[in-house]
Amino acid sequence: MRPQIESLLWDDWHAVADFEQLRRSGRFVTTLLDVPLALELDPETDSVRARAGGAPIASLRIKYGFVWVCLGEPVRDIVEFPECGDADRLLGTAGSVRVAVSGLRAVENFLDLSHLSFVHAGFLGEEPFTEVKPYSVESSARDGLTVTGCRVYQPKASPIAREGFEVNYSYAVLRPYTVVLYKANPVEQDRRDMIALFVQPVSEESCVAHLLTCYLRHGVEAAAVRRFQQFIFGQDRPILENQLPKRMPLTAGREIPVRADVASAAYRRWLAEAGVRYGAIPAA
Amino acid sequence: MSAIGLTAAGDASDPIDRWFPVARGEEVVARHIVQTQLLGREIAVWRDDAGVVNAWENRCPHRGVRLSIGLNTGTELHCRYHGWRYASGSGQCTYVPAHPGQKPAAAMRVGRFGAGEAHGFVWVNLIEPAEPPHLSALASAQATTLRSIYARAPAVTVAACLLRGYRFALDPTGADDSPTDAALVASDAYTIRASVHAVLREAVVTFLLQPVGASQSVIHGLLETTGETSGVDADRLAVLRHHNAQMTALRDAAEELC
Repeated sequence: MRPQIESLLWDDWHAVADFEQLRRSGRFVTTLLDVPLALELDPETDSVRARAGGAPIASLRIKYGFVWVCLGEPVRDIVEFPECGDADRLLGTAGSVRVAVSGLRAVENFLDLSHLSFVHAGFLGEEPFTEVKPYSVESSARDGLTVTGCRVYQPKASPIAREGFEVNYSYAVLRPYTVVLYKANPVEQDRRDMIALFVQPVSEESCVAHLLTCYLRHGVEAAAVRRFQQFIFGQDRPILENQLPKRMPLTAGREIPVRADVASAAYRRWLAEAGVRYGAIPAA
Repeated sequence: MSAIGLTAAGDASDPIDRWFPVARGEEVVARHIVQTQLLGREIAVWRDDAGVVNAWENRCPHRGVRLSIGLNTGTELHCRYHGWRYASGSGQCTYVPAHPGQKPAAAMRVGRFGAGEAHGFVWVNLIEPAEPPHLSALASAQATTLRSIYARAPAVTVAACLLRGYRFALDPTGADDSPTDAALVASDAYTIRASVHAVLREAVVTFLLQPVGASQSVIHGLLETTGETSGVDADRLAVLRHHNAQMTALRDAAEELC
């Protein structure tokens, strides 16, 4: 019994749980694409079993500290980040947060530059530095979106930043529900810290946002990174949960973009062209 | 009518082009934004520093964030998400912080509804921006807005309950302090008058029902009295408490039927 969900999502991998949390609790229940999942740890082998309804799920993996499942037939692998193999980086899960809005809205918010001065005032932006300077967006049906050349003044760009500076940002949207942010490291400004957002579509109008951080180590503590990211995401959540409608409209003109929103506009177009419907109000 | 912002459709028989009270005027205080709902549509109600009341669609046209979580500066409303500013009256966007040098396009405007104040209430018409109705029952009477009561029952049920009988005391702090049966007249499905009288004295409660959605409503009440009143604050409070108790009983009875 396969629901009417597009293969692009059904036959892909989705992060559904933080593996360390599951190790502690032994069991975990969640929902993916409206399908209830039950995860169970086998302490003997330290492996995970998952069931969807009553049926066992064959496609299950542990990667980047998360448990991943595919409900259909996996047609491609879990997203690959070469940076995660660097010895001088600290890899960590930074929380899995339930948000009562379409996961597409959560991805779009992650790509959004002009909210930083308002929603994250004093940290990732600040008035009067509200202007969004032009940046570039490239879109390809196969590889997704790349957003480059973003420059943002940030008073406290990371847990170890001591003063404000202009940060170089770039983003990649790799899958409809997966986006990654690269930002200049405050110490080695020619290398980039990475934060990935894996959004688990729970239903069309709710999601769990799983955050993966991959920072250069320089004096960074895992707990501080986690606390910083959870604090930042805690600022986004009430905004996201006050968006109406909860699903993201893909028809041009339903919401009014400005030039600062070219990444968002490209994301919506890319979703529409890829035929993503789940979590969206499809273009007429 | 757009499907956006509809969390619960109004009853199909509810007329759209009509004035409904949505709040008591004194609740729409300076620099605040009141969130309410009428026939399933969310509305952000706010007063500017000149006293003008706005009733706007409760979503920013940019990304749909509720304007009721924004900021009322006294002349404009600022969206919480990206700081877009909208002028009182026109609803026109005046400033987009991401592009400080650019004049916002005319299309960047919030959805507005007809809004006005009369008889101590803020009234909204989803279609027509015109004048709210005149509904005073008694000439030269003393009028008091009663505490509005939220009911988990549609307006039609509240009206039916009310028309079965309603009791209140003509003078809760004086000689006529026991509730008596009121004479009831429905001028339409949402406006029902309950009156009690004695020699040279009369009290009328005009019930104004706000259809929030298919299964909820707000009961607003306007009390008008003629004849002597004591003018003592303690007595005024006792009167308000009495009507609050009677309206709460009405609410409970209506919810019982649902």
